[in-house]
Amino acid sequence: MIKELKLYPKYVSMSLRSGLSYKADSIIMMISFAISEIISLATVYLIVGSVPQTGIWTFNALAFLFGFTLVPKAIDHVFTDELWILAYWAVRRGELDIYLTRPLNPLYQFVAKTFKWDGIGEFVVGIVIMCIFAPMSGIAWSFGGVMALLLCGFFGIFVFTGIKLIFASLAFWIKSSGIILNTVYGFSGYAKYPLKYMGKAFMSIMFYVIPFGLVLYYPIECLITGENIWWSVLWSAIAAIVVITLGLFVWHRGIRRYESSGN
Amino acid sequence: MIELKNVEKYFTKPIRGKGVWGMLKSLFSRKHTVVKAVDGVSFTVNDGEAVGYIGANGAGKSTTIKMMSGILTPTGGEILIDGKHPYKSKERNAVLKTIGVVFGQKTQLWYDLPLTETYELLKYIYDVPDDEYKTRLGELVELLDMKSFMDAPVRTLSLGQRMRADLAAAMLHNPKTLFLDEPTIGLDVLVKRNLIDAINKLKTEYNTTLILTTHAMSDIELLCERVIILDAGKVLFDGSLEAVKHMFGDSRDIKVIAKAPIDADGVKSSFGEAILKTTAEDGGHSVTVTIDATKLTTGELLNYMFNHNEVADVKISETGIEQVVEKIYEKNRIAAGGNGDGDAQGTD
Repeated sequence: MIKELKLYPKYVSMSLRSGLSYKADSIIMMISFAISEIISLATVYLIVGSVPQTGIWTFNALAFLFGFTLVPKAIDHVFTDELWILAYWAVRRGELDIYLTRPLNPLYQFVAKTFKWDGIGEFVVGIVIMCIFAPMSGIAWSFGGVMALLLCGFFGIFVFTGIKLIFASLAFWIKSSGIILNTVYGFSGYAKYPLKYMGKAFMSIMFYVIPFGLVLYYPIECLITGENIWWSVLWSAIAAIVVITLGLFVWHRGIRRYESSGN
Repeated sequence: MIELKNVEKYFTKPIRGKGVWGMLKSLFSRKHTVVKAVDGVSFTVNDGEAVGYIGANGAGKSTTIKMMSGILTPTGGEILIDGKHPYKSKERNAVLKTIGVVFGQKTQLWYDLPLTETYELLKYIYDVPDDEYKTRLGELVELLDMKSFMDAPVRTLSLGQRMRADLAAAMLHNPKTLFLDEPTIGLDVLVKRNLIDAINKLKTEYNTTLILTTHAMSDIELLCERVIILDAGKVLFDGSLEAVKHMFGDSRDIKVIAKAPIDADGVKSSFGEAILKTTAEDGGHSVTVTIDATKLTTGELLNYMFNHNEVADVKISETGIEQVVEKIYEKNRIAAGGNGDGDAQGTD
């Protein structure tokens, strides 16, 4: 573990410098991620703004929730984007061979290879939106509340990573699991809306099956309704641990049945 | 020392439907076919040996190498490298530090960066001390003649340069054993020859154990003392290079071109059984005589030819391992009822 941590800056620097040849590409990606998020927030405004607002979920509150969901997603995107490659090609093309012949954790080597700095675009948009709407969101801010939200965001990163790892590792069984991962990952988009009004069944799925709702939506609901947010911190921590453990388990089972590819 | 004890690798291929639904269904379906890529292979390789591992496509060569280098886990049997299993998570790192791997068709070099970057990363991964790394890299650059392209991004290297760079990457941590999986694939004759020379130098310089798979038999003849022939996942032959050649008789093809037509039947009757075959071309002006080298020397035949004909040109070719392997396969196919490659269509 110490060796992995010590090596990480080396990997980041190599990844950054190897990306320099494609700098324009990354900048365009970064800007387009940011723009697409802003447009989707504008859509929320158009929908919510055209109906008379009732209850606690005003547009300002929704915008704050929207901003919050972007942050853990963006951080996970920066560090573990390579898992998409695992889902789509790496298993089918036998690209894991080389990591398995080196005396270092293969999953670490595979994931550390790519530091996707274009995710910073989403991160900045998320933070800016949160800062703009925090005072108007109807949340009674306290120091404890901010700390709790930071922790929820932190656990949220691991829920993204864990879900990606679980469904990307399915590729060891079915060769390419990109479509499945894409579908499951897409569920994180629903956590931008008040899940409370989406029906009990769907809310349960978003809380206990694919826990994006639990780590992204629930903390904000607690803050807005004035419920004890530390419950959501506890739930987020549990969700993060369960999902990451499951992800590592599926990866380890999968790598044992890795078949490489023919020459 | 590398020991393989009755190693098996079976691949199960699910019978799967089309589309997302078919993919999901195959997750839970129990229907599959079993492919025996490696089927009970045993051998021992001692330190410092150079072994050529050959077989047709799908014979299981690459699968075996991948099991020895920690990529694949055997279905059955046991692989020990100096007493440790390369595929067990607790013993992995200790084993992998003592081996180097080069795949002809995959590179471990960082695509967009100069070579030195990858080498430095490897230095950290394998915990090579600073001074050792410097001297070692210096030696390798010298030996493999890499000075001219050390600072160019890997994507700009030619295939020959890339192979040499990959060799150096695999040798940086001074591995006891070097696995080479088709290292000369796609290289032209001259580049190939240079690479073989380089591998030979590495072998003598560092006394590295060498395990090599290739389709080019000349590679084996130039690099290895011992040959293991694999067919349909089973060991067909394991012995010295000399023994392979003698297994099917040691023969020579001697082509003689003369100014007047040569009396081929006369040659046959003079030497009897020692002549295996004669082929006349060009209206008898050119005759190829195949002799059994255990019964007749090339000199004796040539003497006869010079005495009876006005010889213009002579060409002698020894039976290469290529022909021998062909013969072994043929024989095996016939013995197996013409169904030699059976079910071995695994990864190779």
